[in-house]
Amino acid sequence: MSSSTHILIAVLALGAFFLIVRLVRLKVLKAKYSILWLTVGSGLAIVSAVPQILDWAAERLDIWYQPTLFLLLGIGFLLLLCMHFSYELSRMENRIRTLVEEIALLKEKLEKEN
Amino acid sequence: MKTAAIVPAFNEAESLPDVLQEIKQAFPEHLIVVVDDGSTDGTSEIAKEFGCVCLSMPFNLGIGGALRLGFRYCNEKEIERAYQFDADGQHDPTQISLLLSGLQKADMVIGSRFSEENSYEVGRSRKTAMSFLRFLIRLSTGHKFTDTSSGFRAFNKPVIGLFSEEYPLEYMDSVEAILIAVKNGFNVREIPVQMRERSAGQPSNRNFRLIYYFLRLLIVIFVGSRRKTEGKA
Ligand SMILES: Nc1nc2c(ncn2[C@@H]2O[C@H](COP(=O)(O)OP(=O)(O)OP(=O)(O)O)[C@@H](O)[C@H]2O)c(=O)[nH]1
Ligand SMILES: [Mg+2]
Repeated sequence: MSSSTHILIAVLALGAFFLIVRLVRLKVLKAKYSILWLTVGSGLAIVSAVPQILDWAAERLDIWYQPTLFLLLGIGFLLLLCMHFSYELSRMENRIRTLVEEIALLKEKLEKEN
Repeated sequence: MKTAAIVPAFNEAESLPDVLQEIKQAFPEHLIVVVDDGSTDGTSEIAKEFGCVCLSMPFNLGIGGALRLGFRYCNEKEIERAYQFDADGQHDPTQISLLLSGLQKADMVIGSRFSEENSYEVGRSRKTAMSFLRFLIRLSTGHKFTDTSSGFRAFNKPVIGLFSEEYPLEYMDSVEAILIAVKNGFNVREIPVQMRERSAGQPSNRNFRLIYYFLRLLIVIFVGSRRKTEGKA
């Protein structure tokens, strides 16, 4: 892998790391997500520290241009993540709806008692 | 028999008083449940003035969400039969007994405006969409329905129970509700009824969203799983 890609990945990994730590500290990121992102960050850091890993893996997979592997992994990961978020969103929507219904029922009961 | 009218109302302050007045006059023993989600024109105040049960939600959930709440309320109050009645004055209170009498032979009755005795016209794109839907529903349920979007419906207790949990929440809920009821083994029947034009307010114009809802419904029809609940006819 070229050294400029290498540097780019290193910068990204470092930036991501600081951001995650900061967000967790500010308590705006839930722990479960911080674990996820920290794992990604560490993965990035490892790959940028030892780019031979990527080169080796790409070779084994018959990928000539190594960054392709990196992109492939990245896109795959993002897709999975989006699916996970869709799932969480659907679940959240259901919960909100149920809550709203509950509020309406309670409000009616309250008004009747008064 | 404990009977309730479920009236979804979104900004219907203009037509709601007449509707409530008419139902009350014809059926004083019926419990009227107005479900208002986020109306800004005092719809819920009118419902309370008329002494109806008024369920109001803090923001708009759409008609499906409003209906599910209505079913939930009826289910909690152990209502034995309920009917859905529009707040815009399109439904005719004189047809309610007819609708309810259909429950003797079915679990869910749809008051259809497309049979011979109809006097109501809908837009063209909606007509095309509806005929396609009819075809799909026939394909997936094996039953023929002529007016799948009619909101003039009656339900018995088991169906109220089912819908209190499973009522579809998105637009075209009326179509999906038929599918859910049939899939759960309930007997859904259509009877011809008379309907009126809107007495006030704006007719819903959501044609541009039809394609999206079509796709969604296709998925519901062909991918949707069989629910666990058991129906009895
Ligand atoms: N609670 C609630 N009620 C709604 C909502 N949207 C529509 N409704 C009510 O549902 C009933 C039917 O709505 P309409 O817009 O008349 O739908 P429609 O009769 O299928 O269509 P039109 O032929 O255009 O009148 C009316 O009583 C509306 O007030 C909503 O978002 N929330
Ligand atoms: Mg209407």
